[in-house]
Amino acid sequence: MFDSWRNKKSSTTVSSDMVSKQRRYDSLVRALHTDIYRYGYWLCGDKHIAEDITQETFLRAWRSLDSLKDEKAAKAWLITILRRENARRFERKQFNYSDVEQEFLEDTFSSSTEDHAEQHLLQRQISKLELEYREPLLLQVIGGFSGEEIAKILDLNRNTVMTRLFRARNQLKDALEQPTIRGQSNG
Amino acid sequence: MDELTFRRQAYGEPNNQDPEFLHAAMESAEREAFLNDLKGLDNKIEKALNIDVPDDLAAKLLLRQQLQHHHSQRRKTGFAFAMVASVAFLAGITFTLLRMGPVDLGQHALAHVYHEGKALQLDNNVQYQDVNFQLASLGTVGDMKFTQQPGKMFYSTYCDFQGVRSLHIVMQGEQGKVTLFIVPLEDRMVLEQAFSDSKYKGLGFTTDNAYMLLVGEKHDDLNYVKNEIKQTFI
Repeated sequence: MFDSWRNKKSSTTVSSDMVSKQRRYDSLVRALHTDIYRYGYWLCGDKHIAEDITQETFLRAWRSLDSLKDEKAAKAWLITILRRENARRFERKQFNYSDVEQEFLEDTFSSSTEDHAEQHLLQRQISKLELEYREPLLLQVIGGFSGEEIAKILDLNRNTVMTRLFRARNQLKDALEQPTIRGQSNG
Repeated sequence: MDELTFRRQAYGEPNNQDPEFLHAAMESAEREAFLNDLKGLDNKIEKALNIDVPDDLAAKLLLRQQLQHHHSQRRKTGFAFAMVASVAFLAGITFTLLRMGPVDLGQHALAHVYHEGKALQLDNNVQYQDVNFQLASLGTVGDMKFTQQPGKMFYSTYCDFQGVRSLHIVMQGEQGKVTLFIVPLEDRMVLEQAFSDSKYKGLGFTTDNAYMLLVGEKHDDLNYVKNEIKQTFI
């Protein structure tokens, strides 16, 4: 009798653990799926692939949710999974996803307002940035991480991160300031 | 903070809230304008990065996790169910085989006497008609009966011999009490002519439809009762 009582108790704690795990996951998804998706998009430059790797990332997160002790670290944790998931994509598939030719370029340029045009240009420039410059910028702007946190996620030292951020902004600034010159030189 | 460091920091992190950096930015109007310029750029970058997220993405993520969770749960309960089922099946088979195995009537009779010790102390003064009535419901023994009272009967009740409904009777022997078991014939029963342990002795014989087992303390009692039964039981 004692045994059955004990079993009953442990099974209820198991199911309540399940419920609280589900709640944690729900709030994780709701709070962070936007950032993760955007980060994924700027990492791979394709909406569908971004959605795929976001799915994979969150599934992996569900499976190892118990290993996430500190909720504040959740975003960095998810981004680490996402980056690994993105790298895996290149292991799986041998064909090359170009970082330069982006899908969003098909966005109708002519009908946009000037603001949109500028934003479009900026998006184009961001996607043209080398990944090593682009990623710290994504982490800073989308992730809201500090220089040190970015260094930790990317496994670089802080000075390197700051230099890359500097170059990233510098390149974007140049591109915005002399778009016509660039256009001419390209043409 | 010199100009170069300031510019590098401004480019690296325009929204830096470090007091030293903020102080450096206040040093000249040029620096302030420069920093504001970069902040403006950062706003644009942020807007540019904030691409539309599919509306149903959160729902999709939750759905996929739920499906996978449900799936693994199903697998788990399926496995548990299979385990429980096979254990139950095995238990059933074992139990049936045990019941089907040969039954040593002698040992069982002795065990029964020890088990129902109170039977030897009661005195219900049972009449043979009552015993006949009980015999009538024992299946194949149904047409067997006592023709007259075979000496005094203290006690009579149904009992179970490895799943076979039998009769347990306590009778008066020459000196002590004797226990008689009437067990309907069955293939898997093994009857010994004589059996005993340190306290009791037993006798077994077969009538047309039943095994008769006698258990008592002395051989004389057993033979006395056996004769009585042979005269009165047909």
